[in-house]
Amino acid sequence: MLPELTSILYQFGTNAAFLLLSALGLIVILGMMNIINLAHGEFMMLGAYAASFVVHRGMPFPLAVIMAFFATALFGIVLERLVIRRFYGRELGALVTTWGISLILAQGALLLFGPYMPPIPIPGGAVSVGVFSFSVYWLILIGISVVLVAGLALVYRATRFGLQARATMQNPIIARSLGIRTGQIYMLTFGLGAGLAGLSGALLAPTTSIAPYMGQQFVAPAFITVVVGGGANVIAGAVGSSAFLSLIETPVSLTLGTFYGTMALLVMALMVIRVLPAGISSLGARLRPIVAR
Amino acid sequence: MMRTLRLLNGAHDLGQGRVFWSGLALLAVAFLAYPVVASSFTATNVAYYLLNIPMALGLSLLWGYGGVLSFGQVAFYGIAGYSYGIVAGNLQEFAWGTVAAAITALLAAGLSAAAFGYFVFYARVAAWIVPILTLVLALLLATFLGLTAGYQWRVGDVQLGGYNGMTGIPALQIGGVTFQDYAFFYLVVLVVAACYIALRVWVNAHRGQVLMAIREDVLRTELLGYDVRLEQLRAFVIASVLAGVSGVLYVQWGNYITPSAIGLQQAALPVIWVAVGGRDSLLAVAIATFLLNQLTYVLSSSGNQSALVIVGGLLVAVMMFAPEGIIVGVGRARWLRALKVRRWSAHPGHGE
Amino acid sequence: MASDVAKPVLCAEALSKRFGGVVASDRIDFSLRRGEMRCVIGPNGAGKSTFFGLLCGILRPDAGRVFLKGRDVTHLPAFRRVRMGLGLTFQTNRTFHALTVAENLETARRASARDAADDAHFRAAYAAFDLAGSARLLARELPHHQLQWLEICMALRRGPDVLLLDEPTAGMSPGETMFTADVLKMLSRDGLALIVVEHDVAFVRKVAETVTVLHQGAVFAEGPVEAVTQREDVRQIYLGRVREKAG
Repeated sequence: MLPELTSILYQFGTNAAFLLLSALGLIVILGMMNIINLAHGEFMMLGAYAASFVVHRGMPFPLAVIMAFFATALFGIVLERLVIRRFYGRELGALVTTWGISLILAQGALLLFGPYMPPIPIPGGAVSVGVFSFSVYWLILIGISVVLVAGLALVYRATRFGLQARATMQNPIIARSLGIRTGQIYMLTFGLGAGLAGLSGALLAPTTSIAPYMGQQFVAPAFITVVVGGGANVIAGAVGSSAFLSLIETPVSLTLGTFYGTMALLVMALMVIRVLPAGISSLGARLRPIVAR
Repeated sequence: MMRTLRLLNGAHDLGQGRVFWSGLALLAVAFLAYPVVASSFTATNVAYYLLNIPMALGLSLLWGYGGVLSFGQVAFYGIAGYSYGIVAGNLQEFAWGTVAAAITALLAAGLSAAAFGYFVFYARVAAWIVPILTLVLALLLATFLGLTAGYQWRVGDVQLGGYNGMTGIPALQIGGVTFQDYAFFYLVVLVVAACYIALRVWVNAHRGQVLMAIREDVLRTELLGYDVRLEQLRAFVIASVLAGVSGVLYVQWGNYITPSAIGLQQAALPVIWVAVGGRDSLLAVAIATFLLNQLTYVLSSSGNQSALVIVGGLLVAVMMFAPEGIIVGVGRARWLRALKVRRWSAHPGHGE
Repeated sequence: MASDVAKPVLCAEALSKRFGGVVASDRIDFSLRRGEMRCVIGPNGAGKSTFFGLLCGILRPDAGRVFLKGRDVTHLPAFRRVRMGLGLTFQTNRTFHALTVAENLETARRASARDAADDAHFRAAYAAFDLAGSARLLARELPHHQLQWLEICMALRRGPDVLLLDEPTAGMSPGETMFTADVLKMLSRDGLALIVVEHDVAFVRKVAETVTVLHQGAVFAEGPVEAVTQREDVRQIYLGRVREKAG
């Protein structure tokens, strides 16, 4: 009984961690800037490419992950200055433009680096409980996603940047009149979101093949997590949504296969928005009206 | 009849008046005469550049006139293409089998759009959620069709074929005419012209104005007594049936369809055609679709892999520097308008 | 259709709505007769806009019910209430600026297959506001006060039984305000029921018979316009001295 239970918990945990990692950078940018970054999958691809590049120069994998974060963050900041800042307040325009960027990045990577990057071997081995064996790396990933979410919440609750970012999100005009440099906040937020996407891409790189169009596999899970989570309180929404979706996806994937698991995600998204058009996080806001203010 | 003509000439697209329509008629005649000078191979290629226009016009209606963006029109293109292949493949020995297949294909596109759109529009979600969910729909459909390799994935006599796709799809046949080569070219030209005229009447008629009213102010339109959800759903279904028209024409062209026709890169293309032309002008969208299809076809058939980078860059540049679209930008340029005003005042009675 | 004058054409029972910790509507009872002209007044934040939203269906109440022509419409969406005979305008002008005046009115007329029942009020208002000469202009080309008038005409286009106006004279000159008041009084005399949410006490004195005063989400006072506006406690609300709700 215990091994079976552990196995189910493990499946649930890995699915939730995958959803959360896929969506993290997207969520930061959407929640703080109301920009949907359709090049998100390609940012993850860039992170994986950077990690692969660093690892195959002989450096340790954890260092590669950290370098992937900074490389993608830097790329995001440049992109924000050049393109994205023109689209504040035009969310559909931003959506279309970032799609164009995603095409350029994916096909550009193919032209520059060829169809494959050298893979990164999965670190750690496996542990077994009864007849089941579990990947140590996935257990670490579950831990890392918890730490990332907690760290993100801390940044927004307890730092000067977090306070200014929340003020900017709620009312950019007043924030500006209080002397907050909102342009800089947007730039850093986009950089943070891009960096997190790169970080997730690097972390997930050992579990998949590293190729120009690898970003596509994250599109459905990442965007559905965001749609179901909603924009009211993005971090709480993403945690709730990835846990909820994993609860649905895990049994479907186990019995019918991965594709039907992803299909179940879409069906659940359609069901959830029918009841809660603003996502799961709006439920929180409804239940805790006074805290939310 | 007079009323329909007046609507056709209405203000909600580029180009009005006698000169414009004479020019357009001349263009149509030129297209119809083209097979006289062209080989059946080049005529079929030109038909290929034209056959995506109905899908693009549908997206223009939805996004440009209705303010609702869909990234997943290729899903309905694919649903129609595959449905046509399944039905036509099974009924090809019957005289009207391929016609039944075409009708079934458009119904399948329309009904699946209605079912999916019901959940999206009746939920009244934020504007950015519609493109995201339609994109996910297209992606999942492509993934699913990629999984259909093997003998168990067959409907009647037709194999779905996984990543290799469905092959040997029979061409449309009406009476004794099989729509291949020149006949296919004429079919495409007529269908595209019919779609343009019908949509142009539609956007200038009452329903089109309601759609534009919703684009401008959702709440105000609702509080005049309109069911905004229904109006948006209606536009979505029309756009999806038009995507289905393109899908049916596409499988006539190559007699095959693969999941990559529905994939992420293909999904981006209609958005690019519409944005580059100018989303709130049907004419501009049609022209841009023709030219860009020619561009990507010529680039990719010469083995050049940079086509996607080029059109992607074009999209970003247009969104940044000419958000109303290149062709619309030129068509509404001040110097052109000044020219037009002078012409109308010289010949009173044509303009509004 | 019963034309009993005493019967309420629009009424609300114990309407309540909270936003987070704020009570925006607090058990409001309200009743409007056919042909009545009612003004709803109150200081900023009194809950006028919430009440307006609850009546027309943009907002759903947490408790209480709304009746239109005797039918419970609490759970009907806004567009159904409009089709049943509610017309309304917004605080800020919301005509369709890219459409012409004629197209705006046409869009207002054809909201459902059923044609407008009786547009006598519309024709009277359209003539009084003298918009016919501007029919072919784009709405964005009209001066501000004519846009407000156009929006009133759009609300009247389908022949509603009740007209809800949210600050219809905002931004108008005193002369235009008084002229608008005259036209609204004429409509009221012709049998149209009107609710006008207003700030401008001079306008209210000119048009209303009965006023309802909202304060902190609840009905604070209701009665003939002269009597209510003379009351000391109502004046104090407007001057902001009454901070705590009585009781």
